[in-house]
Amino acid sequence: MPPNDPVFQLVGLTVRAGDKVLLQDVSCDIQQGRMLCVIGESGAGKSTLLKAVQGVMPATCRRLVFTPSGTDITGAVPTHSGLPQTRWVMQDPLAALNPQLTLGTSIQESLYRQNLTVQERKSAVLAALEDVELGSEFYSRFPGQVSLGQAQRACLARALIARPKLIFFDEPLSALDALVQKKIARQMEVLRRKTQTAYLVVTHDLGFAEAYADKVLVLRMGQVEAYQPCDEFFATPASPYAENLIEAARSLGTLSHANEAA
Amino acid sequence: MSEVLLQKSAKLPGSPLSRFKRRTGLVLAVLALGLCIGLWLTPYQPAQANFLNRLAPPEPAHWFGTDHLGRDIGTRLLYGSFWSLGLALVVSLAGLIAGTLVGLLAARSGPFPDALLMRVTDSFFAFPELIAAVAFAGLFGPSTVNLVIALSLVSWMKFARLARSLGLTIGERDFVIQARLNGLTGGLILWRHILPNVLPSLLVLWTSSWSRTILAVSGLSFLGFGVQPPAAEWGAMLLDGKPYMQTAPHIMIFPGLAVLVSVLAINLAGDRLRDLLTQTR
Repeated sequence: MPPNDPVFQLVGLTVRAGDKVLLQDVSCDIQQGRMLCVIGESGAGKSTLLKAVQGVMPATCRRLVFTPSGTDITGAVPTHSGLPQTRWVMQDPLAALNPQLTLGTSIQESLYRQNLTVQERKSAVLAALEDVELGSEFYSRFPGQVSLGQAQRACLARALIARPKLIFFDEPLSALDALVQKKIARQMEVLRRKTQTAYLVVTHDLGFAEAYADKVLVLRMGQVEAYQPCDEFFATPASPYAENLIEAARSLGTLSHANEAA
Repeated sequence: MSEVLLQKSAKLPGSPLSRFKRRTGLVLAVLALGLCIGLWLTPYQPAQANFLNRLAPPEPAHWFGTDHLGRDIGTRLLYGSFWSLGLALVVSLAGLIAGTLVGLLAARSGPFPDALLMRVTDSFFAFPELIAAVAFAGLFGPSTVNLVIALSLVSWMKFARLARSLGLTIGERDFVIQARLNGLTGGLILWRHILPNVLPSLLVLWTSSWSRTILAVSGLSFLGFGVQPPAAEWGAMLLDGKPYMQTAPHIMIFPGLAVLVSVLAINLAGDRLRDLLTQTR
């Protein structure tokens, strides 16, 4: 596949809950190994976007294409199955891990659809743990025995172990403290380069988007405010709202100073 | 280096549930051992009458005295624990298992079966425990089997309600969504993700159900509806001692104490286990 063809393409996604429109006509695409950041305030529909695409929430679209699995949907997004060959890393790692299962067992579940022997599974999990810089002793630990950052790394390992072509991240860093945030953000980036996995990251951290994203999608009250390549977005934001957003982040000092002159 | 780390992790406490199992198992093992030693040490049989030494107060040969037929009360208390604690255990376990099945089925099988199962549960709630058992004994005759059936029939609803509501909330947690997206079947999700997270709360409820059932079994036996003489059930022993309450109070005091202590002990254990489960995070 030519590298510039999008692996994931979404056209006109709409989500309704009763009379309320949660997301209206959202379109975006991601190329292989690239990162799209979805930005917006709470309630803008960022998480709804992920839930809709994964079929946890009923939604309709004009077109949803995911080339690695040959998915090409028009109309209602099928619920309860999730897109094959994608994984989802959630906001709160401790809610996303069953407290009664060891990290090893939780990570293994990601391989449930693949027919592997017990040995193959275990060595795959150990390799995945190594990828996220967790030692083999974490295999048999319970989520209650590890730190939040370690738990989020285990979730990252769970997503990566299946070698997906696209990983959805739902505010993967917001539950963590700053140092751990930085570390895991860097790890995400290294692994993205290494595995050429496409990332769709929901965040409200503009600094993170500026540092790592290839494209930025800004949502506001369920509508697309801006959809631009990252550099262009921070230099010349497409809407006044986006401009305010960048301005606010800058005054809080969460953005680097490289773009300040622009 | 990694060996050191592994040793360290081995010392960490397990998951809440594994801790729960270990501690409960230890206590039960100690109690069972105590019971076995007692049964092994005692020279008497529970139904061994000795009319020459009836209504004897506590003495070196009979630590807890003898009853109106000269039977050793200490020995009868030991054997009676099988009846009083054991029957209540069977009844409460039956309630736990049946209620959990009904509740989880209701939580996971869609709105219509849910409504149906819960209305059935509600209608069973309409029968007060003791009245139902008395009515059952009146219809089918007083016997141990009928007692167990009657008490089991009215003991599962609390578990069903709790299992359903917990099953509904846990079914929407993030890790269940993850399991579903990873392609796990409904049965496996229930077994691996929902049941282990529902079980701790159900087990806490179960301890209180067990202690309440001990009271019910003893109470019904005392009224003559339950375990029949000469079986050494604690409630039946209380009934035996009633005519001699004034002259030989020890016949009633010790079985009464046995009921009191075991119910208190199980309730306290339940409290402790609940603390243990809530302190995890």
